[in-house]
Amino acid sequence: MNISFEVIKASPQAKNKLLALAIIVILLVTVIVVGALLKVKLFNPKVPVSSFVILATLLIVGYLFMIQAMEGVTFPVRKISAFDAIEEGVARSVEMGRPVHVTIGYGTISSSMAPQYVAGLGVLAHVARLAGKYGAKLIATLGVPEAIASVEELVRDGYYSAGRPELYNPTYNVRYFTDQQFAYASAVQATIVRENVGANIVVGPFYAESLIFMEAGNMTGAFQIAGTARETQIPFFVITADYAFIGEEIFAAGALASGDRVVLASIRGQDLGKLITIALVVLGIILLGLGLKLSDWLNWVWTVG
Amino acid sequence: MVVRRVLPQFIVSLVIILMLIFYFFYINDDVAKTFSADDKALSDWAVIISSFALIVGGVDIFRFHLTQLRRGGLKQAPFSVVTLIAELTMVVFGAYGLALSYLNPALGITITTQPQFRWLYTYVYAPSDSAMYSILVFYIASASYRAFRVRNPMALLLLIVAIIVMLGNTSLGALIWPGFLPLRDWIMTIPNTAAFRPITIGAGLGVIILGLRMLVWREVSWMGRRE
Repeated sequence: MNISFEVIKASPQAKNKLLALAIIVILLVTVIVVGALLKVKLFNPKVPVSSFVILATLLIVGYLFMIQAMEGVTFPVRKISAFDAIEEGVARSVEMGRPVHVTIGYGTISSSMAPQYVAGLGVLAHVARLAGKYGAKLIATLGVPEAIASVEELVRDGYYSAGRPELYNPTYNVRYFTDQQFAYASAVQATIVRENVGANIVVGPFYAESLIFMEAGNMTGAFQIAGTARETQIPFFVITADYAFIGEEIFAAGALASGDRVVLASIRGQDLGKLITIALVVLGIILLGLGLKLSDWLNWVWTVG
Repeated sequence: MVVRRVLPQFIVSLVIILMLIFYFFYINDDVAKTFSADDKALSDWAVIISSFALIVGGVDIFRFHLTQLRRGGLKQAPFSVVTLIAELTMVVFGAYGLALSYLNPALGITITTQPQFRWLYTYVYAPSDSAMYSILVFYIASASYRAFRVRNPMALLLLIVAIIVMLGNTSLGALIWPGFLPLRDWIMTIPNTAAFRPITIGAGLGVIILGLRMLVWREVSWMGRRE
């Protein structure tokens, strides 16, 4: 990983953004210092302060990378083979005259799974654009009623932006089944088999139904691409899919799908976060050897006030 | 433009900032209580919106299967008929239970305790649900068969570890060699945890950066282009 800050050619826009960022940071530091001086219990005593510091650092650094990208700096972005394989899957389905199936996960969208839904929607948007480009039939299945409108919009956009509005048929392309886990699994499985899909793209939060989808795809001989950040389901995807997004790759896939240089730059922040984590792990091991526990410092809570 | 693009992004940014404040800051007991109450209110709003989305979902299912009946041909028709009958039956009994709960509260009947609704749920839906879950056993077996074929040294390693973990999970394993159980525990606790933890941390970092993109209005894939 080659992470470096290049000198920003200060355009007025970048200056304004940097100024706003600097004001936010100064305000934050001022609030913390004044809070400590006035002995105000500023931070939640149940949450370690280190988590706030790490979060704030990542947000600020990630935004700095984005400002650089706005100024025209291009960062090399790592390849994700599963993302590159999506186009192959869609094109292959068109050659075989079979539809492409996409599903974006199961669970409550208002839960901690929401970011994975957003990542799944990013991948769906990419697949929809490719379906429009190659004239593929796309079937997006859903187990989340809250996402129906978004999914219809994305699929419609995919076909319309490629100049193929005649291929868009909401009743065929977007199928909401139910919010009940195994009823949804059963319906998706049936769709994969009956429609004889050529590519099975399964990205988002998944539970026990993940393997059902993949084995159904295997039965039809579909080209399979899967991904989730739910660690208990990753092994199922790794062993059954032709290509798998592992963990955070599904979030990077959304950025790659956008094709936006500024969005892609944010992945650098993600990678820098990994470096910080690795550094903390190494530091923790060294300190442990010296009889000190890094976790004691990281778990420090705000007791002032 | 404002209603379809700016407003949703503004709401998302506002909610992200509010959730961060509610989670990290305290100030004093009164403010903390207000934060906690507001946090719960936001979560409740999400649940309420989700409930309305369920109605949209119900209508969507009805519309889809009616279309399938008209155009899907004989192959699809039986499935659509069963789905439509099932949906309408549950809606009728549910609505009946809801009406009773208002018209005659003394009966203590609600949607979920309405006898026919509950019977259908307990004796039709629940066994079907369990049957689907149990199918996983066969899928795990077929997926394992493909995964454990020894094509290279890594696959051989996977096979050996899988055999140890499987034997460690069964009473037969302990009969063959008592060491399988502690070996399984070691594999699951040390190498397995070590492999999973970076994935979890990486996913957390991915979520933070996704949140940043949404905060600064750069993540718009969930809205479509709307041009």
